[in-house]
Amino acid sequence: MPSYTLGETFELVREVDRYRPIYYAGASGDFNPIHIDPEVGRLAGLGGSILQGLCTLAWAVDCFARYLGDPGAVTKVHARFSRPVALEDTLTFKGVVTEVDGQRLKASLSAENQRGEAVLKDVALEGRPPPGGPR
Amino acid sequence: MAVDPSFVGRRWGPFRYTVGLEKLREYVAAISGGAPNLGLAGLPDDVHPVLHDEAVAAVGAYRSVIGFPTFAVTFAMAPFGAAMLDPALGVDLLRLVHGEQDFEFLEVLRPGDVLTTHGDLVDVSRRGRHEVLAVRTESINQNGRMAVRGLFTAIIRG
Repeated sequence: MPSYTLGETFELVREVDRYRPIYYAGASGDFNPIHIDPEVGRLAGLGGSILQGLCTLAWAVDCFARYLGDPGAVTKVHARFSRPVALEDTLTFKGVVTEVDGQRLKASLSAENQRGEAVLKDVALEGRPPPGGPR
Repeated sequence: MAVDPSFVGRRWGPFRYTVGLEKLREYVAAISGGAPNLGLAGLPDDVHPVLHDEAVAAVGAYRSVIGFPTFAVTFAMAPFGAAMLDPALGVDLLRLVHGEQDFEFLEVLRPGDVLTTHGDLVDVSRRGRHEVLAVRTESINQNGRMAVRGLFTAIIRG
């Protein structure tokens, strides 16, 4: 039976391909022009289109959900968006379990681009792992 | 021009949203390296079946396909979007960036669920040169249960 252990780590890598913000816009409804129009991104001083912060957040949650083995077991997330994510960035998410008490599991997580710069900070995740392990 | 702090307490909504199976699948495709068009690209193999496969999900713990937790943005973001576009607040969208995000996922989302969301402006403050606006949202499902709580924090760059 799988168990969840204090200090256990988990990881996910995601590539921001050129169409990712457009796919994410279509799926989420977040069509803010800075995400889908490079010209507007440049006008905003961002050097072109940037990925929706909520897509980066979804990846952080997915990293945790894959560790839990059950996407329905994630109950809480907090994150601060510390740096814009550009097209063709590669993001590495690394999580660590910080608290396990049977009913509840907490984790923190780092998210860095290919230059080692944090794109999320203060990430806190919480879940209710299924008693019999992942379903 | 700074947002007037007297707008704290202003509410946007209610916004009603019905969860659809294909929207759940499109969202999972978009965050899993696929395209939100199954015919074009398909779903990567490592996506949990409870997020897209009706037959597998029907015999699992949830008895249904469920939404990926942050699918909630599709409806929970509505009051935040409305606030940022509200002419009374006068937010300059070109200076707007998403600063922080909190979610509490209290109920899993299933196709056919109907969510009613409202959001309140809970903070207007300065952080150095920047301005901070925060909208707290509540999404209640068709059974009257709190499904998702959100806190959307925007930074207006100074």
